[in-house]
Amino acid sequence: MARIDDEMLVCRCEEVTVGEIREAIAQGAFDVVGVKRRTRAGMGLCQGRTCEKMVQQLISMELGVAPNETGVSSTRPPVRPVSYGALAEGVF
Amino acid sequence: MKTYDIIVIGGGMMGTSCAYYLTQEGLKVALIERGDIAGGTVSHTDGYIGASEKQPGVDSMQGAESMKLFDEMRKTFDYDFEYATNENDDPIGFVYFCDSEFEFEKAKEQVAKNQALGIEQYAVDPYILQQLEPNCAKDLTGGMWVPKDGAVCPFRVAFGFVEEAKKTGLLDVFTRTEVLDIKQDPNTKAVQGVVTDKGEFAAPKVVNAAGCWAPFIGAMVGMEVPIEPRFGQLTVSEKTGKITQNRLALEYGYYLTKFFQDGERPIDPLVKAYNVCLNITSDITGNTVVGGCRLFRGFSIKSEYRIISAVAQRGIRYYPMLKDFNCIRSFAGIRPFSLDHLPIVSDVEEVPGFYMACGHEGDGITLGPITGKLISQYATGKPLQFELAKELAWSRWQGRDIAAYKKKEEENSKALKAVEEAYLASLEK
Repeated sequence: MARIDDEMLVCRCEEVTVGEIREAIAQGAFDVVGVKRRTRAGMGLCQGRTCEKMVQQLISMELGVAPNETGVSSTRPPVRPVSYGALAEGVF
Repeated sequence: MKTYDIIVIGGGMMGTSCAYYLTQEGLKVALIERGDIAGGTVSHTDGYIGASEKQPGVDSMQGAESMKLFDEMRKTFDYDFEYATNENDDPIGFVYFCDSEFEFEKAKEQVAKNQALGIEQYAVDPYILQQLEPNCAKDLTGGMWVPKDGAVCPFRVAFGFVEEAKKTGLLDVFTRTEVLDIKQDPNTKAVQGVVTDKGEFAAPKVVNAAGCWAPFIGAMVGMEVPIEPRFGQLTVSEKTGKITQNRLALEYGYYLTKFFQDGERPIDPLVKAYNVCLNITSDITGNTVVGGCRLFRGFSIKSEYRIISAVAQRGIRYYPMLKDFNCIRSFAGIRPFSLDHLPIVSDVEEVPGFYMACGHEGDGITLGPITGKLISQYATGKPLQFELAKELAWSRWQGRDIAAYKKKEEENSKALKAVEEAYLASLEK
């Protein structure tokens, strides 16, 4: 398979590229959360809904591990963006 | 077997800082971490750094010393840790809000004490407060301004320490490696190395920088380490730009609840039940981080909905515009609280070669650099960075009744739990 270009955008929300994710892995990231903290991939508005699978695949390719060994981002409320006004009124 | 000059246990704020400053002294360092670098407390907190959020004395002094080191780091590190500065290239400064005469009086007392120690901070009237923070509520009693406090991205500081230390060629990092035991000379008790799930490492010196987990490491050399986890929770907004005008802001009640002298804040029962106090930062990244609380949840870091709601209330109280912005995430973490409020940073006389760098509670980001620096001075026998640093030594716990301290912490915990339970019971009625 052809090498994926370093310039390709992976996380659209935080504008993180393949190259930046490779660098994070080279610095020691070994899972989705480690890549997230080093690059911000998955920290944006969509919270990794779009890019998490791609980050998993990149880790899998770079480290030679199975995609299901690359972890997932921790699940945290709210499950979708909610205004602070609504939260203050208690939407739970 | 791998052999080093010194082994650092824990890849959080303290461990990475120790690793960095020890390599600067020419020591060959193994940094051993059970998970990933910056995986615990350091990635579950905000990035406030400064000297104002400390009790006057050794506590505020170590904050001031650490700020000097942060200033050095931002000039020398290639790794960007998002040190926020204003247009004059100074740290962005910090504002506290006082919502009652009681809080304003307490703030003025603190200002007087810290000014006497040479820490720059001012009590400000509502007019000046509006100049400093144009988006804040218009009906506040007053405030406190600390122009030299600042903000960083906490986990990027930890990554930065590691990447900068690697450049010396003296640091080996072992993540996903759990320390199971510490080897000691049977007669002198001097440390000889550590046993991990990935094999043994030899070194004549070992640093306990395991934060909330420091008591487990301490127990391996027969020490009872008086550190317990305290819980905090924050939220993250969508991109908002500068709600806080590139300054961090706190309600003064945050400082007061930290030392359990809250007085009576004019607050909602929900806010009281979860011991919530506003701290808010519009980050360089464009997101605004809104917190927080101080609770007891053991080692749990689960986010709780009622705390999110109380934080939102507090946020809107001080920044009404926040109500129309979206929250995209919450997160919670535990802070290693040393039972006498001061971190433990020193060698350990009864265990030669063993060092403690732990127990910083909510001040660990600020105190990361000075702690690593002090440990590097202890480990090489050099003079300490500042005279008062001796007050942070482990030896102060010699002869103290740790059980009594633990009991007091348990009482604090029970008192907070009772307020929460009373609130929950009132909901059912």
